[in-house]
Amino acid sequence: MPYFKKSPWIIHYDGSSCNGCDIEVLACLTPVYDVERLGIINTGNPKHADIFLVTGSINEQNREVVQNIYEQMPDPKVVVAIGICATSGGIFAECYNVMGGVNKVLPVDVYVPGCAARPEAIIDGISAAIKILDEKRKRTKEIQSGKVPLLIEPAVLSDAPQILDLQRLAYQSEAELYNDFTLSPLRQTLEELQKDFESNLFLKAIMDGKIIGAVRAYEAKGTCFIDRLVVHPQYQNFGVGSKLINEIELRFPVCRRFESFSGHKSKRNIDFYTRHGYKKFKSEKVSEKRDRIYLEKNKTEEKQ
Amino acid sequence: MNILIKILFVIIIVPLAGGILAGLDRKVTARMQARKGPPLLQPFYDVFKLLQKENLVVRCSQNFYIYYFLFFVIFTVVLFFTGGDLLLVIFALALAGIFFVLAGFKASSPYSLIGAQRELLQIVSYEPAVILVAAGMYVVTKSFYVAQIIAFDQPLIKFLPGIFFAFLYILAMKLRKSPFDLSTSHHAHQELVKGITTEFSGRALAAIEIAHWYENILIMGLVYLFFASNIAFGIILTLAVYFLMMLVDNTFARFKWQHALGSSWLVALICGIGNIIILVALKR
Ligand code: SF4
Repeated sequence: MPYFKKSPWIIHYDGSSCNGCDIEVLACLTPVYDVERLGIINTGNPKHADIFLVTGSINEQNREVVQNIYEQMPDPKVVVAIGICATSGGIFAECYNVMGGVNKVLPVDVYVPGCAARPEAIIDGISAAIKILDEKRKRTKEIQSGKVPLLIEPAVLSDAPQILDLQRLAYQSEAELYNDFTLSPLRQTLEELQKDFESNLFLKAIMDGKIIGAVRAYEAKGTCFIDRLVVHPQYQNFGVGSKLINEIELRFPVCRRFESFSGHKSKRNIDFYTRHGYKKFKSEKVSEKRDRIYLEKNKTEEKQ
Repeated sequence: MNILIKILFVIIIVPLAGGILAGLDRKVTARMQARKGPPLLQPFYDVFKLLQKENLVVRCSQNFYIYYFLFFVIFTVVLFFTGGDLLLVIFALALAGIFFVLAGFKASSPYSLIGAQRELLQIVSYEPAVILVAAGMYVVTKSFYVAQIIAFDQPLIKFLPGIFFAFLYILAMKLRKSPFDLSTSHHAHQELVKGITTEFSGRALAAIEIAHWYENILIMGLVYLFFASNIAFGIILTLAVYFLMMLVDNTFARFKWQHALGSSWLVALICGIGNIIILVALKR
């Protein structure tokens, strides 16, 4: 049903910018361009919005705001980066506090070029976003009903950059939870990750030719240590994580014991492991803000 | 059996009319602002889209209140259009309004809290005038039943100009229009985000929207009662009143709630009560 095409509601956020693009977005609402004739409403409320328009670049202060707005939007949703600032940081890219474009923190669907982006270009960008919105709705339905094949297979070294991106994206919510953006998965460099390939077995979950989930594990003294199970935020709750953990356990047939860990506040993760037969056996303080909970599962126990 | 069909008819036709009225409203508003405006059926597109969106909730029970709100609004509308008791209509509508407020409180974000509080203040502001409408109509027609009020052979506006004015004054509140769109508004960017509806998304928001369609038609029905002696004339005047409200909506900035409360009580007191006193005095 094409209703998303007819009623896209937007929310607009202006990051680190010269306000040029900001003003052009508002110009779209004026009588000259009047986007309401396309059913577009500027809602000012993330819970009512379908399309997130971001102008300006992301800096250390507005990063949380942008993510917060995005997370509050109900699915399906799309992100449109407007202007060169939002695309890459633009002229602010080299500022000491600027992280870069919106895609540093959010999955951007449409980029509108220009400095400033003209209202025509913005409207064009929104109409491109509307199409993606409708596709996303169909996709979600298909994924939920299990129509899209999910492939789980060992990752190779050339997958490292993609896995690193995914890891950064997926650990954002975790960092938010503890208000600690120095978590090791976020700080890891590509070289370090590539090095991990020597000691770890990596599994990747592929949907539509894209890596949407990953996990790694290694064996020591009969115990399999599982770490960094990540799933792309848009594909969570579809059972991707469960498939990954089941598969990695199968890949270590000799192991009697499986071990993993999680932060103490990450109830979702702990619940997830508990569902898969893991039990908490110790906890350890890793920093001021965070305790690490260790979880284990014994294979022999299960078989009896 | 006959009454069942009638009820079904009301339940189906009223929201259709309400949606079209809302579409017309947006179109005319756009034209008043020299814009082209959305298509007439835009409100329906919006609601159908909302039905397909994810349903995010802060507290599980918040949507429960919304569905009660919708239920009681429909109940009220059915009661009204099947010629029921006007007093019951007014109080059932107030009950529906309270459920809406409870939903706002339950969602417990600062914006929806303030929105809910303002909604309560609005109820306090408009309720006297609405009750006066029922009282005035009773004084003239000797009945609280909508069916008998409609059957009255002269236009009620002739006897109740003061009450009509008081009702007109609070109409903007009931239709959620400027200058009284205190608790929530159709227009974006205000200090309240979206006021009482801030925390609702997806299906719940669609339910709120549909409830408003029902409500708006019910309120226009109340306006119609003042002109009911001549059907064609009545419908035209009712639409004219709605047009007037659109004009007011686009002309005024928002009032503070203190002004809304004070002025609506004052108008209800002077025009409404004054009207009834004169009526009773003349009848003696
Ligand atoms: S892209 Fe250009 S006009 Fe737009 S916000 Fe950046 S500097 Fe300003």
